[in-house]
Amino acid sequence: MLFVRDLESGYGEMQVLWGINLEVNEKTVTTILGPNGSGKTTTLRSIFGLNRPWRGVVEFDRIDVTYMPPHAKVEIGITLVLEGRHLFPSMSVEENLRLGAYTRRAEEKMDDSIDLVYSLFPRLKERREQKAGTLSGGEQQMLAIGRALMTAPKLILMDEPSQGLAPKLVAEVFETVERLREEGLTILLVEQNVYASLEISDYAYVLGDGKVVLEGTVDEIRDSEEVKKAYVGI
Amino acid sequence: MNIRAYKPLIPMIAVYGVLITIALTVDGMWQPVAYFMFYIALGQAFNIFLGLTGYVDFGYVAFMGLGAYGMGLAIKNFGHLGLIALPIGIFLAVIMSMLLSLAVGAVALRLRGAYFAIATIGVNEGFRYLVEGVRLWGGTEGMILSGFMRKTYGREMTNFFSTFLSDVLVILIAFSAAVVTIAILNKKMGYALLALREDEDAAKVMGINVTKYKIMAFITSAGFAGLIGATAWTLKLTYIFPEDVFNISYTVEAIVIVMLGGAGTLLGPMFGGLIYGIMKYYLSVIFPGIQLLILAPILIAIVVVFPEGLIGYIRKKARDTRLSEYLR
Repeated sequence: MLFVRDLESGYGEMQVLWGINLEVNEKTVTTILGPNGSGKTTTLRSIFGLNRPWRGVVEFDRIDVTYMPPHAKVEIGITLVLEGRHLFPSMSVEENLRLGAYTRRAEEKMDDSIDLVYSLFPRLKERREQKAGTLSGGEQQMLAIGRALMTAPKLILMDEPSQGLAPKLVAEVFETVERLREEGLTILLVEQNVYASLEISDYAYVLGDGKVVLEGTVDEIRDSEEVKKAYVGI
Repeated sequence: MNIRAYKPLIPMIAVYGVLITIALTVDGMWQPVAYFMFYIALGQAFNIFLGLTGYVDFGYVAFMGLGAYGMGLAIKNFGHLGLIALPIGIFLAVIMSMLLSLAVGAVALRLRGAYFAIATIGVNEGFRYLVEGVRLWGGTEGMILSGFMRKTYGREMTNFFSTFLSDVLVILIAFSAAVVTIAILNKKMGYALLALREDEDAAKVMGINVTKYKIMAFITSAGFAGLIGATAWTLKLTYIFPEDVFNISYTVEAIVIVMLGGAGTLLGPMFGGLIYGIMKYYLSVIFPGIQLLILAPILIAIVVVFPEGLIGYIRKKARDTRLSEYLR
C-alpha cells in the first residue's frame, strides 16, 4: 500500500534521513523502531509532507505522492497522529472529533466515523461534552487517534502514541491499534516502546542514523542481537 | 444560509445606529464619530487576518498606503471624466492592495509566527523607500490633490467629499468587513481558520489546506485596508504623503484594537476601536501632549485583565445563556 524508496530529508542544512526504504502492506501494523535521533519522526513527517522530502519516492496505492501536500494526502486516505496529541484543548471531545472530519469525503462519513470512534472508545462517548484539555493523558491519546479516524483514513501514521502514558494505558493504546487493524485499517507506527509494539506488529524496521539498519518480521527483530544491544543493553 | 447565525450583527447594528444618531443630531459630533469609525474600520479589517489566523502582519499599513495612492492616482488621471474617478479609485485601491498582499502572502505566509511578523515589517518600509527613492507617485513630496479637486469638482463638492462622503464610506467599509467576518466564521472556512490558528500541524493532519486559507484571509483583509486608505485618507484629507500613509504606528494601533476587543471575534474590533478611539480623542482633549502616557497604562491594564479581549471575556461569561447567541 505504501512504498518509500531512498527517502532523504532533513531540517535546514541538516540532513536527517539518508535513504529510507520501507514498505507497508494493506491491513497490517508496521512499526519503525530506533534510538532517539535516528529519524523515526522525520520519516513519518516526510512521508506525510509536513517535512519536504529532499529526494526519493513515496508511493501510496501506486500513486506517486512524494510532493503531494498534507491536505491532499488526507483527501486520498492518509493521516498522521502527531507526537504530543495536538488536540484543541478548549473544545469539547465531540467538537474535536467533528472538526476532524473536515474534508468533503470525511464529512460525508461523519456520522459513521463518530459511531466507530465511540464504539472503540466508550470513554470518549461518556465525556463527549467535556473539554479536551481536561481529559487524562490516556483519554487525550484516544481522542487524538479518534480525531485521525474522523478523516476516514485507509493508512494511519502514528507517532509515539504511548509516549508519557502509564503502563496500563500503554497496553490500552496498543490494544486499540490492534482493533484498528481488525477494522481494516493499515498502520505505520513509530515507537520507543519496543517489546509492547512488537507484540502487535506484523513487520518492523529499525532505524539508525537516518537509515534502515534492520528489517524483518516481528520474531526476527525480537531475536536480533542489534535490538537487544540497542534496547536491553546486553 | 442560516439566518440565525447572523444574530450577532444585531448588537452591531444597534451600536452603529446610536453612533450615527449622535453624529447627526448632536452639534459638532460628526467628526469625532467619524474618527472613532476609522478605528473601528481599521480593527474590523485587520481582524480578518490577525484575528482569524493568529498571524501578525507588521506591514499592514502598506495596504492602506497603497489604497490611498490608488484613489489618488484615479483622481489625478481620471478626474477630468467627472465623478466616475471615485469608483475607479475604489477599484484601484482594492486591486493594488490585494495584488501586493498576494505577492507578500505567497512568499511570507510560508513562514511561521514571528518569522512572518519580521518579514512583513520589511514590506512596509521597503515600499515607503521605493516611493521616496525612485520618486514614484510624487516621491517625498507626495500627492496634493486639494487644488486639483476644487478646480475639477468645485469647492462645495470637494468639501462634501472630505467632511461627509469619506466618513460615510468608512462606516460602510467597517460594516462590510464585519459582514464578511461573520460570513467566514459561519462557513467551513471559519472552522479551517479556527483550527489553523489553534494548531497549524493539527489542521494539516485534518486535511486543511492551511496556506490557502491564510492567503485568502490575508487578501481579504488587505483589500479592506486599501479601501480605508482610499477613503479615510485620500478622499478625506485630499493629500498623500509617504511618511504618513506608510507609518507603522497605524499597524500598531490596529493590533491594539483587535487585542483589546478580542481577536477573531465579530464584535471585538468594534468595541476595541470605539474604546481606543474615544480614549485617544478625549485624552488628547483633556491632557493635551501627555495623552499617550496616560493611554498606554490603561491599555496594558485592559489587556492584563481581559487577555482574550473584551468580547472574548464577555462571551466566556455568557456561555450557555441566551445572550451568547448575540455575541460572536
